[in-house]
Amino acid sequence: MAERVGRDSQARVLREHGLLRRANIAGVLFALAFLLVAEACVRLFDLSDSVAAPADTAGALFEGISDGSLAGEVETTLVTYVQGLALAAVIGVLLGIAIGSSRTVESASSVVIEFLRPIPAVALIPLAIFWFGLGTPMLRFLVAYAAVWPILVHTVYGVRGVDRVLHDVAATSGVTGAARITRVSVPAALPSIATGIRISAALALAVCVTGEYFVGTEGIGHYMQDHAAAYRLPELYAAAALTGLLGLAIDVALRSAERRVLFWAGEERVRPR
Amino acid sequence: MSTRAPLTRFRGVLLGALVFVAALAIWEAWARSAESFYFPPVSEIGREALDVWPSADFLTAVGASVKRLAAGYAIGATAGVSIGLAMGSSRRVRSTLGPTTEFLRALPVIAVVPIAISLLDDGDTMRIAVIAFGVFFPVLVATVAGVCGVPPEIRDTAALFHLGKVERTIRVYLPAALPTIFAGLRTALSIGLVLVVIAEFTGTGDGLGVYIWTQRFLFDVQAMYAGILFLGLLGYVLNGLLLVLERRVLAWHYGAIGEPVH
Repeated sequence: MAERVGRDSQARVLREHGLLRRANIAGVLFALAFLLVAEACVRLFDLSDSVAAPADTAGALFEGISDGSLAGEVETTLVTYVQGLALAAVIGVLLGIAIGSSRTVESASSVVIEFLRPIPAVALIPLAIFWFGLGTPMLRFLVAYAAVWPILVHTVYGVRGVDRVLHDVAATSGVTGAARITRVSVPAALPSIATGIRISAALALAVCVTGEYFVGTEGIGHYMQDHAAAYRLPELYAAAALTGLLGLAIDVALRSAERRVLFWAGEERVRPR
Repeated sequence: MSTRAPLTRFRGVLLGALVFVAALAIWEAWARSAESFYFPPVSEIGREALDVWPSADFLTAVGASVKRLAAGYAIGATAGVSIGLAMGSSRRVRSTLGPTTEFLRALPVIAVVPIAISLLDDGDTMRIAVIAFGVFFPVLVATVAGVCGVPPEIRDTAALFHLGKVERTIRVYLPAALPTIFAGLRTALSIGLVLVVIAEFTGTGDGLGVYIWTQRFLFDVQAMYAGILFLGLLGYVLNGLLLVLERRVLAWHYGAIGEPVH
């Protein structure tokens, strides 16, 4: 029974995500037609100098994964990415709780945050090279910097948006002081925090790959840069497609984890269709 | 927020400003004592910024970037709203294009840059295309969500008046979806600004991104800080302008729900 419920919710996640919208035949056919037309155009008009044919891309993708060259880069990227994202989550959630539960902390930090937040992480790449050198610490910093803002903002909203009644109930039950934050604010803010982390997860992957592209010595981004410079288009397209698939997989995984962990929050969070 | 008394709010702003100034002062003191090449004192960065920002070279670079951003943003946003309207108002279009857009949306734009270079060469067309690509998806998603979220009463009313498909879409769904679309437009703006920089980091030519990237090789750290600061400022100003436009265009909406919802 429990297994069936799990499978159902998984199917719902996939369906809502638009991949398997009730065995979406038209959608799959359109994607296939798109690929076929692209393939035909590349072959008929001899465009392989500027576009990689889908078949060649698939070949390069398969080869890159089976001989481990691309798979190894994926692993490197994922490690850096997870480290940066974890750092951002810790900082963002702690800071967000502090800001969300105290007007004084909110006011005090407001100008500094509003000053830093609009600066795009990618624009910091040249400075970050000076600060951290060309290695992984610099990428970790970039990922964390980019990812911290959505998590912070969603944590603040989540903590601040806690129903007053919950606090009143807690107070009458003798929950006061720090326990009020850990036992009322944080659990109530969890759905919002999860949304923030999901947004950051997508953003952070892009920033990580971008950082690798410009300065990395390894990782998917570096792989792309390498093959772009050598004009090996199928490999470039394969890496790009793989990054896209990776992003989709991470999103689906986070959504399903969210549903499993935060199942109690489901009622309020049913999305309009 | 709005229920707070003006005096306490003023105090809050004052406190925020004080902390900001204190942070700058600590940086200044630390940078002076440490004499790190990579962390110049704030006062020097400020002086450099005031020096660089009004210079003709810098302004030309900013102008080139803003022009690219405007072109890419206009193309991407128009395409996003149009296709979003089509996808939002027809289930068939939505499910047909769904998987393809979902996959393209997941591509990190940096992956698109080298692809665009191989397709369009390294120039303005490539950069505008990259910006348009990145701007397109947030606008598309917001438009689809906005149209799908149109309340059934409004749909039924439109049906009752026998409005045709096109008329219904443009005169009913589009206005009803506008608040959501504007949220997408704002996300798209900050993404667009990032893409200008990314597209300009690669390759040659003029622009704010090229300016910042060049300073790296000249080891002019102050100028780099000045460039990045300006970028942040530009994002802040553009976002402000978009908000003003939004309040104007959506005055009826805010009138209906009470107050701006940010």
